[in-house]
Amino acid sequence: MKIKLKEMGNSLFFSLIGIAAILILWTLGVKFTSVGLLLPTPLEVLQRMAYTFSNAIGRELTLPMHLAVSLRRVVIGFSLASVCGVVLGIAMGRFRMVEAVCKPLFELVRPIPSVAWIPLAIVWFGIGETAKTFIIFMAGFVNIVVNTYAGAKQVDENMLGVAYMLGANEIQAFFHVVIPSCVPYIFAGMQVGLSTCWMAVLAAEMVSSTEGIGWTITAGQENGDMTQIFVGIIAIAVVGLLLAVLMRWAERVLCRWRVRGK
Amino acid sequence: MNTEKLNTAKKQKRKYQVISLLSVCVFLLVWYLATAVFELVPAYSLPSPVKVLETFITKFHSKAPDGATLPKHFISSLQVAMSGYVLGAVIGVPLGIAMGWFKVVDKIIRPVFDLLKPIPPIALIPVMIVVFGISLQAKAVLIFFSTVIPCILNSYSGIRQTKQIHLWVSQTFGASNMQMLFTVAIPSALPMIFAGLRVAMGSSWMALVAAELLASTSGLGYLISIGRSLLRSDLILVGIFSLGMINIVITAIFNVVEKRFVRGGKAE
Amino acid sequence: MSETRKTVIECKHVSKTFYSMAGDNLVVSDLNFNVYENEFVVLFGPGQCGKSTILNLISGLESPTGGEIVVSGEKVSGPSPKRGMVYQTTNLFMWYTVMQNVEFGPKMQGVPKKIRRERAQKYIDLVGLNGFENQFPVKLSGGMQQRVGIARAYANEPELICMDEPFGHLDAQTRYLMEEEVERISNTARRTVVFVTNNAEEAIYLADRIILLHNCPTSVHKEYTVDLPRPRDYTSPEFLALREQITADMDNTL
Repeated sequence: MKIKLKEMGNSLFFSLIGIAAILILWTLGVKFTSVGLLLPTPLEVLQRMAYTFSNAIGRELTLPMHLAVSLRRVVIGFSLASVCGVVLGIAMGRFRMVEAVCKPLFELVRPIPSVAWIPLAIVWFGIGETAKTFIIFMAGFVNIVVNTYAGAKQVDENMLGVAYMLGANEIQAFFHVVIPSCVPYIFAGMQVGLSTCWMAVLAAEMVSSTEGIGWTITAGQENGDMTQIFVGIIAIAVVGLLLAVLMRWAERVLCRWRVRGK
Repeated sequence: MNTEKLNTAKKQKRKYQVISLLSVCVFLLVWYLATAVFELVPAYSLPSPVKVLETFITKFHSKAPDGATLPKHFISSLQVAMSGYVLGAVIGVPLGIAMGWFKVVDKIIRPVFDLLKPIPPIALIPVMIVVFGISLQAKAVLIFFSTVIPCILNSYSGIRQTKQIHLWVSQTFGASNMQMLFTVAIPSALPMIFAGLRVAMGSSWMALVAAELLASTSGLGYLISIGRSLLRSDLILVGIFSLGMINIVITAIFNVVEKRFVRGGKAE
Repeated sequence: MSETRKTVIECKHVSKTFYSMAGDNLVVSDLNFNVYENEFVVLFGPGQCGKSTILNLISGLESPTGGEIVVSGEKVSGPSPKRGMVYQTTNLFMWYTVMQNVEFGPKMQGVPKKIRRERAQKYIDLVGLNGFENQFPVKLSGGMQQRVGIARAYANEPELICMDEPFGHLDAQTRYLMEEEVERISNTARRTVVFVTNNAEEAIYLADRIILLHNCPTSVHKEYTVDLPRPRDYTSPEFLALREQITADMDNTL
């Protein structure tokens, strides 16, 4: 325990040195070289960030409000993608008929980068929320189906046999064996899916939107306002990190049974 | 009795193959009927499959309306992707290995890396445009960035997951630190490194398309964004399917290369 | 003796062929034997000769290609909770705790929670895992996992329990311990047990009756009734004599 604490302190120390070095280099670079014509100093970025917490970027929304708009889109699209993806993935993995019908069609869609759906979504649904939900949905859906399908395929037939031997019927075996043994795979898919969704919402907002965190950085680009772009990027990174942490925590709770050791 | 059973197993397989084929045919037929025959949806939003195929073929030699043929767009995209990707892999993989093997490198670079890791490459597009303008450089740097991070990440954890017992074995045979790195750690990390290269390919491809959508004068992403502004959804679909096909080809190449280099199967 | 006891398993001219793309494979041919109530029968034979297949046939996970198997007067046509199974590899539900694993069978049949908890607890105590009820199987050793498997099979209170080389993957020391454990459990909770093994000592230590099987295709080669006093001594002259005889007979089957 003591050793662990010491180790943690040690690595924290090195992290701080590393981060401080970057910030100092960044500041020096901006102050004394031609980079300064393009980039703001870290302090400026930080000040702007604090400022935009209570003051609007663009017409009326503050930074947290822009983030909320983007997050809402992700939550809607991602939830839809999770439900549909898990259902289709399991159905394809467990029923050969569904597999035969859906797999070739899915294989048609799978290799398309989710960003490439943006123009089509705009032509189909206009520039409103539906188009964005569709883009986010596609981004999450593909990853979740691929992983869930792999999970449903590897369900141990012996384990199903065990359940039948102990008196489970088909439905009970499905819920007590198939679903639990797919859960780790579903989570792997959802983790990748969520980060792809977060990327897709940015891209969608950058291409066509009047609000949202992705819009703030393109707006910054159009106004030549580097500070605003950096504020946006930092906010995006922080939220992305939080989403990843959230997923990992959920996985740890739901897949407790896989953890060895104490 | 035996042959009968065998046949049923084969028959089953063939039955499902036929169903798969039928499923695709039905899909194409419904698409065709809905667009070309009954015209349920306006042609600008969804063209018939025949029209998409026609556009695909004519785009091979026609420059209208976006100024370049399909192969040209393809080469333009690939050029950018390759330059950024190769650079990212060449720098990322050794750096990841060094971070995994040498504690000092790890401690210095890790925090920087942890800061950069959560930034989606797409968010960097505006920065690139401001700094480099709408140029090949901007996109190449972007792709470099989206390649280098997964490469570092996977090489790093690949090296970190080297089994202690393998290291001990090589130590008892008197291997030096460098020998251990090259004969034990790197070979056992290869599957992970390859997985990283794969992920990098996916994410850099996505970043490239996004960059071409936002600011470009050529490339497949540019093609589909032109299709959108002209309301030519056949053009968009041609672009999307080309992107998909390229992805399939790249995956296939990866599979072959991986089989060639990662011998003795993947580690658990 | 056999007339006075109820017959639990009747195997009548059972055969099993596996069909595959590579060709057919006759694994069991004209297998005939009976198992009586509360008897501990060991199916004993060398190597890969379809012993597990016989258990799969009895349990109903696979169906014979010839002949029939009758358990308690009913022809076997599919898996049933009346026939429990303990496997070579533990096959526990890794996502459930020890308690949830053991109470799985009763739960599937809708036994009320209170009763099934009590019953599961009884068997968990019997296999000596008291205190591990809420652990997940990954945290248990191989021997302990196998005990959970045994408790799970018993908690369903089947008329017949099949054990398929349950100690095959354990180290020698644990194996001896587990053999004693099974001996103790089957004395406490008397059941009809069909036990498959390729270890002669294990067979003699546990069995009321040993059925020596032919190698592929499998059929009955010889039967031995073991009536040494329990618990048996691995080193007693009778034990060793029987062991020598069985080993010699087994060499003839190869």
